[in-house]
Amino acid sequence: MKGNLNDLQKQAQEKWEELEESSFTIRIGTPTCGRAAGSLDTLQAFQERIKKEGVEAHIIEVGCMGLCFAEPLVIIHNPDSGLPPILYGFITHEKVLRLVEGFILGDDPCLELALGTVEFKEDGTPYIPEMPRFEIEERLVLRNCGYIDPLDIGQYLARGGYLTLQKALKMTPEGIIREVEQARLRGRGGAGFDTARKWKACYQMERGPKYLICNADEGDPGAFMDRVVLESDPHSVIEGMVIAAHALGASQGFIYTRAEYPLVIERLKIALSQAREIGVIGEDILGSGVNFDIELVEGAGAFACGEETAMIASIEGRRGMPRPRPPHPTEYGLNGEPTVVDNVKTFALVTRILQQGGEWFSQIGSPNSTGTAVFALAGRVEQIGLVEVPMGTTLKEVIFEVGGGITNGRTFKAVQIGGPAGGCLPESALDLPVDYDSLKEVGAIMGSGGMVVLDENNCMVETARFFVDFLARECCGKCTMGRLGVKQMLLILEDFVKGEGTEEDLDMLEGLAHDVREGCLCNLGGSAANPVLTTLRYFRDEYEAHVTGKRCPALVCKELITYYILPEKCEKGCDHCVLTCPTEAIATDEKTRKKKILQDKCVKCGTCIDVCPPEYDAVIKVSPPDRVKELEGEAGG
Amino acid sequence: MAEELQEVLAPYPVERRYLLRILQGVQQKMGYISEEALEGVASHLKISPAEVYGVATFYNQFRFIPYGKHHIVACLGTACHAMGGQLILDAFERELDIKAGGITPDHGWSLDRVGCIGCCTKAPVVVINDVIHAKMSPFKVEEVLAGLGLEMRKEKEEEEAGEGESQ
Amino acid sequence: MAEKGYVEITIDGQTVQAQEGEKILWAALDAGIEIPHLCAIREAHPPLGTCRLCFVEVEGEGVVASCVEPVREGMVVHTDGERAKTLRRRAMELLLADHDLECKTCVKEGNCEFLQMAISMKVKKPKNLHPFPREELPVDDSHPLIIFDPNKCIRCGKCVWVCREKAELVPFDFVYKGYDMRLTTFLSRPLGETNCTGCGECVEVCPVAALYFRKA
Ligand SMILES: Cc1cc2nc3c(=O)[nH]c(=O)nc-3n(C[C@H](O)[C@H](O)[C@H](O)COP(=O)(O)O)c2cc1C
Ligand code: FES
Ligand code: FES
Repeated sequence: MKGNLNDLQKQAQEKWEELEESSFTIRIGTPTCGRAAGSLDTLQAFQERIKKEGVEAHIIEVGCMGLCFAEPLVIIHNPDSGLPPILYGFITHEKVLRLVEGFILGDDPCLELALGTVEFKEDGTPYIPEMPRFEIEERLVLRNCGYIDPLDIGQYLARGGYLTLQKALKMTPEGIIREVEQARLRGRGGAGFDTARKWKACYQMERGPKYLICNADEGDPGAFMDRVVLESDPHSVIEGMVIAAHALGASQGFIYTRAEYPLVIERLKIALSQAREIGVIGEDILGSGVNFDIELVEGAGAFACGEETAMIASIEGRRGMPRPRPPHPTEYGLNGEPTVVDNVKTFALVTRILQQGGEWFSQIGSPNSTGTAVFALAGRVEQIGLVEVPMGTTLKEVIFEVGGGITNGRTFKAVQIGGPAGGCLPESALDLPVDYDSLKEVGAIMGSGGMVVLDENNCMVETARFFVDFLARECCGKCTMGRLGVKQMLLILEDFVKGEGTEEDLDMLEGLAHDVREGCLCNLGGSAANPVLTTLRYFRDEYEAHVTGKRCPALVCKELITYYILPEKCEKGCDHCVLTCPTEAIATDEKTRKKKILQDKCVKCGTCIDVCPPEYDAVIKVSPPDRVKELEGEAGG
Repeated sequence: MAEELQEVLAPYPVERRYLLRILQGVQQKMGYISEEALEGVASHLKISPAEVYGVATFYNQFRFIPYGKHHIVACLGTACHAMGGQLILDAFERELDIKAGGITPDHGWSLDRVGCIGCCTKAPVVVINDVIHAKMSPFKVEEVLAGLGLEMRKEKEEEEAGEGESQ
Repeated sequence: MAEKGYVEITIDGQTVQAQEGEKILWAALDAGIEIPHLCAIREAHPPLGTCRLCFVEVEGEGVVASCVEPVREGMVVHTDGERAKTLRRRAMELLLADHDLECKTCVKEGNCEFLQMAISMKVKKPKNLHPFPREELPVDDSHPLIIFDPNKCIRCGKCVWVCREKAELVPFDFVYKGYDMRLTTFLSRPLGETNCTGCGECVEVCPVAALYFRKA
């Protein structure tokens, strides 16, 4: 298959045009998130149905469009209908028959299942005009995601793929770096470091071999942007890496990805071998004389390995512990050689910058944070999924306009941004533009793009405990501040959620957080402080409630709440709670048949609240726990 | 055992950087990493067994006890935690009467926790025998377990029925 | 102007010449200026940087770990800046809170580098920290020459570093991570059953009584 890229391109394009214009296509999103929603069953149902009916249709497995809330997602293009491709949401396998009979065998486009039509911008980026979020979004990284088949390099080629590489190979390394400099690109891995500066430092090293590492460790819980990009459009990242390799003079590249992402690994393996086959990685790339190959390295479950020096240690087969800097990896990296580590999205953006020019890129976003930001929106928000907006878009726009607001009409409480090391921002921060500098000002970080929305049912003290617990477990253990400082913070927070803390502990926690932030060897402990300091800053009243009132206002902390069944609401006959209670902690009154919780048996699992029919809604939580005695007294009297 | 280990080791040159990959290979093949395997890996790569032990215990992925017949992983990532993931893990711990990281005495079930599996939009999630279960609730835990128990029983019955036929 | 290959810096008002690339800590110590430190090894590149006791303030840069930060021409260093002192104290307090302070029964009889450092820093075991969930581990006296008491270890990492320099196959290393990270042998087997030759390099660098020679 190796040959002239332009020929391959042309063939791919012809094939694509035929597919787009005259074929019946059914695109089904089968990324990890889609699979969790049952998209493989949907796929199978389509395959079976199509075969049974003897229809000629191309079924294409695609990645994630970012509209995860509506998964499984299906895009059907019936060219005979004269309609553009139509995107359908929530297509579980039971709904397949309806679609097949309606729109594939017949001419009813089943609009009741449709989310909208798929239209294309000038540069070919698909969007859904019916969804207002696409007016705010600008998809540079996610451009192809969810529309092309990630396992077919031809579809990537057909959309202009690897042409940018061909162009870049004709440029000088300085020329490429200048373009990136002009774009004012900042790394998407969290710290927002100036990419061109890092590249220059490595380029200027006169030693070799040089190495290039793509950081796909994405250990931040609540973040899944890099997973989606690699599952949906792996070649955009590979292309960016080869361009970077040419700029740096690197001969060997690595993609370090999490072991928890089996589908990423599977798809990357295929993508890499296809790239090797057409000669865009390997020896003498596209006849330019540049040699560069990429090896896939699977992590083994250690959050600290996302830190670049720890990642290097891990690739070398060692414990993934960060080391102090200087020397920086650009000088002393993998095997002691000059090394550049960049995030997945950074590479994807490099491809776009070289394609459209640094000047163009620098016009998007805000002056100090150019380009777009990709967020993984999760938690208590309606339209959970991936979002890509220009830097400087406000949090409010992202959460309420793109994300559709809070679920079940509840009230927004906080948004946790930037991963476990980020910060929790309150409502007053919603008008903040999201870019590196604004977030830093309010005590949070951009991080790699996790954004978890919390509502009134989330306790901020418990949230802080959760993050610190995560970081204490995942801290490498190497330095005093990380190993003991973060652990000490956890011990204090564990007391708080049990209602056992003191005012003095509050001050201690704050002091520790500041010291750990500044004194830790790597940024892990350094930013372990953020969730604590931001919750202390914006939600101090909740801490006070736990410490002095021994009560959890959000009714979350187990030791500070009890469950109670309101007798006036409890309907007599229904036994839902009794039957499902795992510990037989619910008794029935002989006479009234009303239910009562036996507090000494209750494990506070919340099942009774789940199963109590909404029309009764008789189970409540109260805090402090003693409140229940009052209630029982009132009910009894 | 020794033969299986050799099969995993054979393709790898004696270079330290393959340590993680080899340990992953061992675990994939044998379900866990035994003491003999750790020693075997060290001698193959000509590195100190103490260092191999240090590396293996650093990473969450490596297990030193076998999996149960059914292996359950509860996600406690940010999104899953915010959506009640702890209650789900509690429910599994309660129903199976083991703690995260443990295995039932009959080796039928093992339970682990994980940071995030990237399915935050379906939170809270658990992975049982590599299948992702989305939007869990404590009540669904019982259902899912009953479902698997039922299936086990069904498998058994089928097996017995099969044997009956062949006789 | 400093000689070729040397730079001139100011530490606490004193002008100090140091070899280019040298770390602040060593430049200071060579000039007789004290900075607390426990994990530093001059030959270690990159440095260990684990104990977090050596913070100083550099004008225009803020707080840095002096064992990590190389000197630069014209650098102005203060060892007694408030922030640096707070961080040093904090690190020492945390280490003390997690240490088995049974100095009376300790073989080093309170005469160890760690305790001396704490005394010179005027830091006592803090009362207001929560007790760490320390686990008492058995003392390993299986080796003919060296005794290993894991309960005393402060995880500075010097022993592993010197052992790696010397031995082809180190008999011990750190295992697990986070608070659970500790020094041990393969599967925590007795040190006497490992390949440890008893050269004693580790004992020489150990700032506590985690590794010590058996009394004759
Ligand atoms: C504890 C810790 C975890 C990190 N995790 C990640 C990660 O998951 N992905 C990532 O790209 N960068 C992560 N980083 C940042 C990297 O160290 C590094 O800055 C980044 O890969 C540089 O790439 P960029 O310039 O493209 O942002 C982490 C840093 C720390 C301290
Ligand atoms: S937090 Fe559970 S899948 Fe991400
Ligand atoms: S001496 Fe600098 S960190 Fe220990």
